[in-house]
Amino acid sequence: MKRRVELGLLYSRSGSYSLIGQACRTGALAAIAQINADPDNALTFLPVERDPAGNIDHYAPLCAEILRETTAQHVIGCVTSWSRKEVIPVLEKLGGTLWYTVPYEGFEASDHVVYTHACPNQHLLPLLDWAMPHHGKRAYLTGSNYIWGWEMNRLARDIVQTAGGQILGERYLPIGSTDVARMIEEIRACRPDFIVNSLIGPSSYEFMSAYRALGGQDTAFHPARCPVLSCNLTEAELPALGDRAEGLIAAGPYFCGQQSWPGGSFGSSHEAATFVAVRELARLLSAKPQAKGLSDLLAGAGGVIDPDTHHTRLPVLIARVEQGAFRVIQHRGEIAGDPYLSRNREPAAPHLRVVS
Amino acid sequence: MKRPLRIHNLGGAKAFILHRPHPTVQALTRQLTAIGLTVEQVWPSLDAAALGADFVFFDADMGHDEQFPWSPGASPMPMIALIGSEAPGRIEWSLEAGAHAQMLKPVGDNGAYATLLVARAAFDAQAALSDEIAGLRRRLGERQTVIRAVTLLAARGETEAEAYDRLRQMAMAWRITLEDAAARVVAAGKDTNVSRLG
Repeated sequence: MKRRVELGLLYSRSGSYSLIGQACRTGALAAIAQINADPDNALTFLPVERDPAGNIDHYAPLCAEILRETTAQHVIGCVTSWSRKEVIPVLEKLGGTLWYTVPYEGFEASDHVVYTHACPNQHLLPLLDWAMPHHGKRAYLTGSNYIWGWEMNRLARDIVQTAGGQILGERYLPIGSTDVARMIEEIRACRPDFIVNSLIGPSSYEFMSAYRALGGQDTAFHPARCPVLSCNLTEAELPALGDRAEGLIAAGPYFCGQQSWPGGSFGSSHEAATFVAVRELARLLSAKPQAKGLSDLLAGAGGVIDPDTHHTRLPVLIARVEQGAFRVIQHRGEIAGDPYLSRNREPAAPHLRVVS
Repeated sequence: MKRPLRIHNLGGAKAFILHRPHPTVQALTRQLTAIGLTVEQVWPSLDAAALGADFVFFDADMGHDEQFPWSPGASPMPMIALIGSEAPGRIEWSLEAGAHAQMLKPVGDNGAYATLLVARAAFDAQAALSDEIAGLRRRLGERQTVIRAVTLLAARGETEAEAYDRLRQMAMAWRITLEDAAARVVAAGKDTNVSRLG
């Protein structure tokens, strides 16, 4: 008889980030189906779903509902730092764990959260490290007006300036705003070598449209000359972007078609990282069925999650959108998550493999 | 004043927690370890080894001056008070002990990173101000020397303004402060002829 374990799923199936939430949910359900169908697995997962419908104020109460009204102690969910920070007090109070499976800006290591997607030493740092030698050191920074945009651009500024480069401009839009004209005018005037795009949702889509139009008028803004870089854009949003994404360069742990990690075929890294989270949770719960809390569960368990930081060792790939799909242009090996950028940088060189 | 925070500087830093064994110490140790610090818990007092620490967290509730191997307010690193009882006497003592930041007990899931940055910034600002004040005090104390040097130089027939200007040019040529140049002029004037300097 397999042990039945209730597992919370907290993803918005509507609202402005629903594409990402749905990709994560797909990955979670795929892992649950695989685990449940495996006769050798000691447990089956019973998903308990709540849908905050993109409303930030629904996350904490719905997370509390999962932890109070069911036997679930682990919740897979949230796709923004804002919603994650909303549910952490609930997790602390009720002793739950959140598995957060999308890229974020780092500088957090909650005792109640496991982070299975990339943080800056796994996305922004390698991406800039790739971009500066290839395109130059004059950057323009854009972002949505909240913590992701602010922190990403603060780091980018620090890294580019430390490398002897220049920040030619930095501009933010309120979440949801499509008023990109001023950014485009500034970019036209200052002619950077590359652009870091930390906009999200419709702001990002509109920016990509306008920038593609600019590239059509002046080849200095063609992606081959001055590409847009992103740390959170995946295949999940490519259908929404269409042609506008051509030439965009992104960093991530997985792109469609990669076989090595996590093994299998996924629609995007959101899906893959959520799949990994559920698989790893199943492995940990099987190895230590009596574990009391997350620390106990992770202690001495081995695997990809660091028990000190709760961050994950991940492949780091740089990829370019070509004809509607990401093509990997550089493999940078596997790198452990370093949320506070305080651990020794691992030497990237021995793992470097350029794919041309 | 804009002071951009430097990143990459907490890895491998060493923190001492001066507190009796307690869940607060565990929670704080977990946070500091996640950030990348190494942590040592000590009680009831810090010994000389603590002089090598990058940060010291101390219990404000049961603390007293004799626990530290330095005089109150003269720690060579940022100090963070762990405050349980918000009694005015304890706050006053922790300030006199030299707290650069504080955390309220019980310590839970977060707060350590912000506290480290605030404590480090406050410590650096205090150290920079202390240096500046010491420099200004020293220069104030050298006013007498400057007057004597100007008088010596003026004795060669220059006006006071010309003599002062010449002293300033000497300091620039020697790449030292006006006060140090004045000290040289006075010292030279004691045994030989001042003109040797010019």
